[in-house]
Amino acid sequence: MSRRLHIEVFRYNPLDPNSEPHMQSFYVNEYDSMTLFIALNLIRDEQDPTVQFDFCCRAGICGSCGMVINGRPGLACHTQTKDLPDHIVLHPLPVFKLIGDLSVDTGTWFRDAGARIEAWVHNDHDDFDASAEEVRMENDLANDIFELDRCIECGCCVSACGTARMREDFLGATSIARIARFYLDPRDERNEENYYQVIGNDQGVFGCMGLLGCEDVCPKHIPLQDQLGIMRRMLAIHSVKGILPKRVLDKLKHKGCCHESH
Amino acid sequence: MQIIYSDLLCIGAGLAGERVAVEAAKAGFNVTCLSIVPPRRSHSSAAQGGMQAALGNAIMGDGDCPDIHFADTVKGSDWGCDQEVARIFADTAPIVMREVAHWGVPWNRVEAGVHTYYKGGKPFDAEEKRDKHGLIHARAFGGTAKWRTCYTADGTGRSVLNTLDSMCLRYEVGIHDRTQAEALIHDGENCLGAIVRCLKTGELKAYLATATLIATGGYGRIYRATTNAVICDGGGQIAALDTGLVPMGNMEAIQFHPTGTVPTDILVTEGCRGDGGTLLDVNEYRFMPDYEPEKAELASRDVVSRRMQEHIRKGLGVKSPYGDHLWLDIRHLGEKHITTKLREVYDICTNFLGVNPIHDLIPVRPTQHYSMGGIRTNKDGAAYGLKGLFSAGESACWDMHGFNRLGGNSLAETVVAGRYVGKKIVEFLQGHTVDFKQSAINDAHTKVAARIMEMTKSSSKQESAIQLRDEMHSTMMDNVGIFRNGKDLQAAVDKLDELIDRSKSIKLQGTAIGFNPEISLALRIPGMLKLAQCTAYGALMRTESRGAHTREDFPERNDKEWLNRTLAYWKDGETRPELKYEETTPYFEIPPGERGYGGGKIIAADIPEEKLQVPGKGTDKKKAKQTKKAS
Amino acid sequence: MDASTLTLHVRKNGAGVGRLDVMQMLSGVLLIVFLWAHLMLVSSVLISPKLMDAIAWFFEATYMAQVGGPLIGLLIFTHFLLAARKMPWRASETNAFVKHSVMMHHKDTWLWLAQVATALLILVMASIHMWVVLTDLPITAVKSAARIQSGTWLPFYLVLLPLAEIHVGIGFYRIGVKYGYITKANRKWYQRLENYMMGGFITIGLITLIRFLFLTV
Repeated sequence: MSRRLHIEVFRYNPLDPNSEPHMQSFYVNEYDSMTLFIALNLIRDEQDPTVQFDFCCRAGICGSCGMVINGRPGLACHTQTKDLPDHIVLHPLPVFKLIGDLSVDTGTWFRDAGARIEAWVHNDHDDFDASAEEVRMENDLANDIFELDRCIECGCCVSACGTARMREDFLGATSIARIARFYLDPRDERNEENYYQVIGNDQGVFGCMGLLGCEDVCPKHIPLQDQLGIMRRMLAIHSVKGILPKRVLDKLKHKGCCHESH
Repeated sequence: MQIIYSDLLCIGAGLAGERVAVEAAKAGFNVTCLSIVPPRRSHSSAAQGGMQAALGNAIMGDGDCPDIHFADTVKGSDWGCDQEVARIFADTAPIVMREVAHWGVPWNRVEAGVHTYYKGGKPFDAEEKRDKHGLIHARAFGGTAKWRTCYTADGTGRSVLNTLDSMCLRYEVGIHDRTQAEALIHDGENCLGAIVRCLKTGELKAYLATATLIATGGYGRIYRATTNAVICDGGGQIAALDTGLVPMGNMEAIQFHPTGTVPTDILVTEGCRGDGGTLLDVNEYRFMPDYEPEKAELASRDVVSRRMQEHIRKGLGVKSPYGDHLWLDIRHLGEKHITTKLREVYDICTNFLGVNPIHDLIPVRPTQHYSMGGIRTNKDGAAYGLKGLFSAGESACWDMHGFNRLGGNSLAETVVAGRYVGKKIVEFLQGHTVDFKQSAINDAHTKVAARIMEMTKSSSKQESAIQLRDEMHSTMMDNVGIFRNGKDLQAAVDKLDELIDRSKSIKLQGTAIGFNPEISLALRIPGMLKLAQCTAYGALMRTESRGAHTREDFPERNDKEWLNRTLAYWKDGETRPELKYEETTPYFEIPPGERGYGGGKIIAADIPEEKLQVPGKGTDKKKAKQTKKAS
Repeated sequence: MDASTLTLHVRKNGAGVGRLDVMQMLSGVLLIVFLWAHLMLVSSVLISPKLMDAIAWFFEATYMAQVGGPLIGLLIFTHFLLAARKMPWRASETNAFVKHSVMMHHKDTWLWLAQVATALLILVMASIHMWVVLTDLPITAVKSAARIQSGTWLPFYLVLLPLAEIHVGIGFYRIGVKYGYITKANRKWYQRLENYMMGGFITIGLITLIRFLFLTV
């Protein structure tokens, strides 16, 4: 099978005044079970030690290696070269600040988003009694919460989002799904109004235009589409409380969606 | 040079680092966390299994208590652990699990009623109690008497890390990611912080702190085949070792896992073999029964790893561009079993290897997995040798693992030690002031800056960091692997001597303004070689087999001479570590005995009577236990 | 309550943003219903021109055309204003979005550009259409046929018809997605439905136009 792969890598060093954004071609012999993680490291070890890219766990769990692979944001470590054509084009994730070549600053973006949506369980943390039994929870609920906690913050959904590309203050599917996680969690004492205050605006849930780029690229298959729908409906209904009769609103609230838990 | 001051500087922001940070931040101290990657990408996130804590909610863990957990831990360590520390650990673990539950970890919970579980490929039924419904559940793990491992589906590390990171956000812990601590700032007595290289700009900065914590995880990357993330290069240990004052404990204690996949070294669970998977060689011949007629593939983790290594050495491994490996065969288990009970394995094979385990063989080899050793600390987490320096988690040798850690104990250690050491650091900060000496800061900075300058500018040097790394990998894989013997270890030590010497002449291959990824490696390699030498040399000197440290030429566990802990110091300018030894544990709550698995002969020690007493507890112990149970 | 929850009472987002979103959605839904009904009514000419005349007479006699017509115009304009909040008015935004669509090869992303483009054209063309029709009441099959046969109006409707149906079809799908009625589980089904509906309505519309073309004036 051994193909010779033509890998085109976006090169730009923003700290170097002489550097211009350009594409650089590398050629690598393909082996069995080769992933982009292996191919890129071969390039760095044998051809150009200055190429910047990020890998950490190399097992699809940490989210470091998000990049645009032949046009689609994805994780390089679990992209096998055999699934790609001979010619592979790699770009850094858009939206995030470029550090150099394929490396972008997702950490700052996600921390900032986390602070904006206050991404922590809002309860009295000092209330913890070390000698008491833990508060009970249904296992199904725990699983539902974890389903949304699986996000690895790779940034693929943000890069695949048309709104985020146009408006840099958009919080993206990842943040809205994060809020959905807290909304599910009975330990978080925030009410609908509190959630409305953090994502009930055009930077949050109402900014989403339903293009579903996020849903289609999420490497962890987190149900982003469904969560965006649930949160938007919940907060939209919240905004018209008192205008439409409560009975109608309640009916709308519980219709047509699978992941309802409240 | 930019100088950033904080009360506590955490180097590393994985589970241990963030747990300590939260503790100090909650107490009102100013905390800064440094991390090579954004904190949620720390290798803690990759831990899938779970955390051991004796909650005893699951029916298969019924009647569990910290005493049993303590006993499992001590046995697991092959009596190499500090029993005082193991006791602290076992006693606090349940509280810590509840605490993180309060903060938001979605632990899996007990569901009353009958469920089916698999053991050795056969289904069994267990019925959970009604009065435990909704409490934190636990799963089975190797080497434990009870089901004790708390978990959240297949992402325990992920969910706990997310929760702790959210707490850091809440308590406004300063997170400086993409930074790499290159050297500690110290005045010979106090640790004052670290010189840190920014991985965005390549700039050096000084982070000053009254207390400094190292929580950078393991140093698995001194091996080629390791399940550790690429950032687990022992950066924290290197910074501590380089001071010449802080020793590393038990560096030779390295755990291997038999079935890491090739080429990316991602683990496939032992469940594969448990359920009936077999190991095949290059001729697709099942070789394990030849070595272990009774248990074959089901022998313990270290035994299987050793046999696989032995077989590969006979030249019966499968050649591949990524090195020799063997095959794991689960095809006969059938599609249904593979896609349900072994779904994770199926996903890993299809997503990362491009192998379909229903029809194809899985390439596997024994893979470095965990380092029990690290920065030696006392039970408070304070490093030996420098005041104000602490360590917790895998990077530390707090020493509850001794020579072998149990699955689920390491992940639990991160948060349990994090909480305990965090509290001790808070006490330290409350009663301590320190003078930041300009000269100490300058010294540390100059050293790092000079190293970078030399490797960039000097024309007389020509060693490639990548080349040195590859040679180190080969040496460690071939000679300091699972099976060790005097001859190979000596060869490794000699080779590492040579590499360490050559590492003084590293020259960069490429140039880049600002951040240059090659410098990161080049700065690390000399330190990694030192860690490798501590491991190899410690292993050479330890002429016994204990836990994960297995000497072919000294197969017995020698409690008479080796019931101790190796301490490796590296004085400035020396070419080899200086090894010292200290007592394993201040007292033996459980005197050395048989582990009950793994076999092997034991050369018994004479332990003085007073060492068998638990200080301060004596006869009150039973009483205390009873009240604990009652509560 | 501690420092981290202290500012929870500070209201940053008024209910207004949510209400605007609801209004955009509702106006969209109304227009979808209107357009489909409108097409059905006009296509009644396929059964018989007399039927169409009778329906037109009914709407006029009840003043629904005289009042409803301008109201629909207002609704279209309102819907445009609301939806325009999301449109890429700045060159940098358009640029970013076009680049994004080219990069992604992603159908739903392209469809949004289609929706923006059709929206602008529909705004102009629908206004002309309404002006022409509403200033020349009553509506009769013969008058409509005469317009189609006059030459310039045929191409006009041949453009407006698919534009409107495409816009409405995508809009229908996207409202479902945004409000969580179209989920991961049933998205494929709705995508197919969307295609069939667009195709179906355009076909009916075309046949109606052909009928007008050959209707004896």
